[in-house]
Amino acid sequence: MNAMWALIRRDLTLSLRQGGGVGTALGFFLTVVVLLPLGLGPDQALLQRIAPGALWIALLLSVLLSADRIFQQDFEDGSLEILAMAPLPLELVALAKAMAHWLSTSLPLAVTAPLLGFLINLEPQAVLPLGLAMGLGSVTLSLLAAVGAAVTVGLRRGGLLVSLLVLPLYVPVLIFGLSAAGGGPDLATASLLILLALALASLVLSPLAAAAALRSYLK
Amino acid sequence: MQSLANPARFLKIANAVLPWVWAAAALSLAAGLYGALAAAPADYQQGETVRIIFVHVPAAWMALFVYTVMASASAAAIVFRHPLADVAAKAAAPIGAAFCFLALVTGSIWGKPMWGAWWVWDARLTSMFVLLLLYLGYMAIWQAIDEPHRAAQIARIVALVGFVNVPVVKFSVDWWNSLHQPASVFRMGGPTIHISILWPLLVMGLAYTLLFLALHLVAMRSEIAARKIRQLRIARIGDR
Amino acid sequence: MDLASPHTGFVAAAYVISALVLFGLTAFILMRDRRLRAEAEALDHQRAKDAR
Repeated sequence: MNAMWALIRRDLTLSLRQGGGVGTALGFFLTVVVLLPLGLGPDQALLQRIAPGALWIALLLSVLLSADRIFQQDFEDGSLEILAMAPLPLELVALAKAMAHWLSTSLPLAVTAPLLGFLINLEPQAVLPLGLAMGLGSVTLSLLAAVGAAVTVGLRRGGLLVSLLVLPLYVPVLIFGLSAAGGGPDLATASLLILLALALASLVLSPLAAAAALRSYLK
Repeated sequence: MQSLANPARFLKIANAVLPWVWAAAALSLAAGLYGALAAAPADYQQGETVRIIFVHVPAAWMALFVYTVMASASAAAIVFRHPLADVAAKAAAPIGAAFCFLALVTGSIWGKPMWGAWWVWDARLTSMFVLLLLYLGYMAIWQAIDEPHRAAQIARIVALVGFVNVPVVKFSVDWWNSLHQPASVFRMGGPTIHISILWPLLVMGLAYTLLFLALHLVAMRSEIAARKIRQLRIARIGDR
Repeated sequence: MDLASPHTGFVAAAYVISALVLFGLTAFILMRDRRLRAEAEALDHQRAKDAR
């Protein structure tokens, strides 16, 4: 446990010092949110209808774009090999790194996204449910991004491949995330529960898959 | 299964079985096409376009079936370390992707006269499209990783993670309002389709399955040959 | 089948595309198989020759 916290702290410190973490993701996020009204026109009713979806998509893309930070650097400079030999199981290493990514990138975005929703005329009563859904969903998004990152860590041009691999996995999160924000209270509750289930399932499965992939590259 | 582990043994059995599989596939395809185009009546509501069901539904069935074969083979590779399991998974992928593509295209062609639109993001189509992406991602992994052993290890993970996702996507997209027909064959109460439509459908399903079996065996044979080529080339470099 | 139906074109398109894709796939797989097996045999013979 201590080892995991140490690893999370280390990754957080690295991402803070090096930048390219929250900054880049937030910048990309803002770009999408600002360009959308420009691209779609000033029709406020239209913007209000698409606002939750647009925010979710911006979140998905931002997390996806920052995914390779999870393992790439440590793989390239040999730290990952050392971590693999440490007493902490590689699965927990993967989990710790995914959680660090969540804390540094996905969660901050998920929290600020609904607040920035006013830029695209998000209706005020959707802010809280959307925030909750995104907060829950962001856990799954980071964990799945970690799987994609692990599977492509040793590849030269892994970028496009990560998107191709992870986007199908993101579809259910997006669908339930949207119905959590849009529907009535019953639908929203059910959707949030399913998002919770997805997060819990990913918490177990993602480290297993990521560690298996990493082992294959570290041999 | 263990008796098939030796590639040479597998090849012997595959070569012996193949002509029969091709023949059976051709026969059932002929019977199915006769049933689809001649014997089956036009639908009361849809007219002749209902005949598209006979190429659309079997393709969709195969898309799902082949992915299951791929995932099972990947699981067998991990659990049993069966030497031909990775070969089976890799060989199945392009065939499954082709069936998936056909399901989407024929579904789209059917959708135009039925719903008035070439494409709608309803439950079944969206899940099928995601399935196609999963196939493409799997095939891309084999292309992207040079070293065959590592490629196989990563591919197994990709196939299994994707397989977990297939029912989740199915379920999540069903959450939406769906234009597509609800399941009418594989249902708890038994098929609801009329027998005159059902039998050509099942025969076409059989034909597509036999076609997949034949193509899969040939593709596995090719893959075994490709591995042999690689080994021989490496050995030649070692010889010098 | 009623060939005069307004939707014949759609039905034909669906069947023709299915046939093209499946025949194309079959042809591709069979030709690749022939090519690879020939290459494997050629390398095999070469190796047998070199060994003598």
